[in-house]
Amino acid sequence: MTPALEVIGLNKRFGGLPATKEVSLTVMPGERRLIIGPNGAGKTTLFNLVTGDLTPDDGSVKLFGQELLKLPTQQRVHLGLSRTYQILTLFPKETLCHNVVLALLGLHTVRWNMWTYLSGQRALYDTAREALAMVGLGASADRTVAETSYGERRRLEMAMALAQKPKVLLLDEPLAGLSQEERGQVRDVLARVPRDVTIVMIEHDMDSALAFAERITLLHYGEVIVEGTRAEVVADPRTKEVYLGE
Amino acid sequence: MSRSWIWLVIAAIALLAVPLVVRNEFYLNLASQILIYALLAVSLNILLGYGGMVSLGHAAFLGLASYAAVLLLNAGLGHLASAVLALAFSTACGAVFGMLALRASGIGFLMITLALGQIVWGIAYRANTITNGDNGLRYAERPHPFGIDINHAPHFYWFTLAVFAIALFFIWRLSRSPFGAALQGARDQPRRMRMLGHNVWLIQWLAFVLASFWGSVAGLLFVYYNLFISPHAISLQQSAEVLLMAILGGASTLTGPILGAIIITLVKNVASTYIDRWNSLLGAIFVIVIMFMPFGIVPGVRQLWLRWRAPRKQARAA
Repeated sequence: MTPALEVIGLNKRFGGLPATKEVSLTVMPGERRLIIGPNGAGKTTLFNLVTGDLTPDDGSVKLFGQELLKLPTQQRVHLGLSRTYQILTLFPKETLCHNVVLALLGLHTVRWNMWTYLSGQRALYDTAREALAMVGLGASADRTVAETSYGERRRLEMAMALAQKPKVLLLDEPLAGLSQEERGQVRDVLARVPRDVTIVMIEHDMDSALAFAERITLLHYGEVIVEGTRAEVVADPRTKEVYLGE
Repeated sequence: MSRSWIWLVIAAIALLAVPLVVRNEFYLNLASQILIYALLAVSLNILLGYGGMVSLGHAAFLGLASYAAVLLLNAGLGHLASAVLALAFSTACGAVFGMLALRASGIGFLMITLALGQIVWGIAYRANTITNGDNGLRYAERPHPFGIDINHAPHFYWFTLAVFAIALFFIWRLSRSPFGAALQGARDQPRRMRMLGHNVWLIQWLAFVLASFWGSVAGLLFVYYNLFISPHAISLQQSAEVLLMAILGGASTLTGPILGAIIITLVKNVASTYIDRWNSLLGAIFVIVIMFMPFGIVPGVRQLWLRWRAPRKQARAA
């Protein structure tokens, strides 16, 4: 079977500092993969290399067998790649609904139309409201982002990515900065994501993340140190050493 | 009928009635000039307000269209053919300029547009054999669109108003369209927009081409009005003034640049007959407005209006 996402020998240096060193990983379709590692391990850099925000020095990134590195970010999205950001990047003055509509527009040819009213695109707005309802924000669709809580914004990030019906979804610390209750809400959202979506997630909250992940990759100083099933990685002494602490 | 429609109808009637009320030809011609500069400012605002791209070379398109129209007419083409070809030429230059300017963003973008604007000005100034240098070129006579004589001030005003209205309508539709939403998204979060599947470069380039097209239309009106074009009309000062119009009135709105064009054109033409230092007056107006209304007059007044109304609305609700 073709892997959903395949990273081979990926190298990226910032000046003299290697951010990723010969990183390779293979994620199969439908898999839930967790990427862990201490701060500065290169987790977000890895995402940025996969999405095209950064260009690697060498290596290869394949989505369902297709090489991505020559493609600009937006074309990778059209092939079925979506992500959320650790640092929220939303449109604060716009309504939640408009934020999701912008996400939907990105994959819709009507985005080039300079004449018709955007507000007349009923189908887009209906789909956007459905996506918001899926993350429990159905009632807040017409509020602006500025009027929402941090937890709601995290879920909006998720709604924007999910609305695009991606094949591979990259989640960069979706639980960061959330209360216990909000974490529960995000976990429920994740549990409801259909199995035809492959999920790769960076997360620090081990309790939530471990329950979710099937396979785990541990990064340290830009290198893959340990990779395996949940049990294998947790049991590995190197995991304890670099991440969980003595 | 909604309230905005009523306002639109009132504004349209008021603008159409200007020649009936303003009998003095000097002031009526001033009104035509205001419309031309308002169109130039509104076209620049596609870049500035909706796209977040600050251009200091927008007068280049006024110049490219004007010079092209004169040269084509002198070469023996008709009014219509030279107008169409001048617009095509100027917009094509806009397409190339856009590609160059969009190599950078922010200050870099501004500097490239400034340089391109200065190149156009420099060619107009130095290429004597083609452009007649500092002396400029004459456009033989105003055209007769659809057989209508636009030589008289009221007729020219209505002609300009018609073109202006069409342009404003297109730009208004643009601002409400999916493309307009994507352009504003690319202004606020370019990286996120890419990650949502939008081609940010292409969006911004198309906006640049559109801005140069409508700027070129203003250039045609300019040369029809003055029947003359010289490098002074496309100097850096001119580009800066257009930018000032948009910022003064409020770049985040459709109507702001129009108000900015009214104020600046009036100060330049009317106040300058009473005050020698009209540039200082303009500077003072700009500083005062920006101090109290950092986003320009139209958004500032709107905010004041909402603040004034809010307590009254609450009182009524209670």
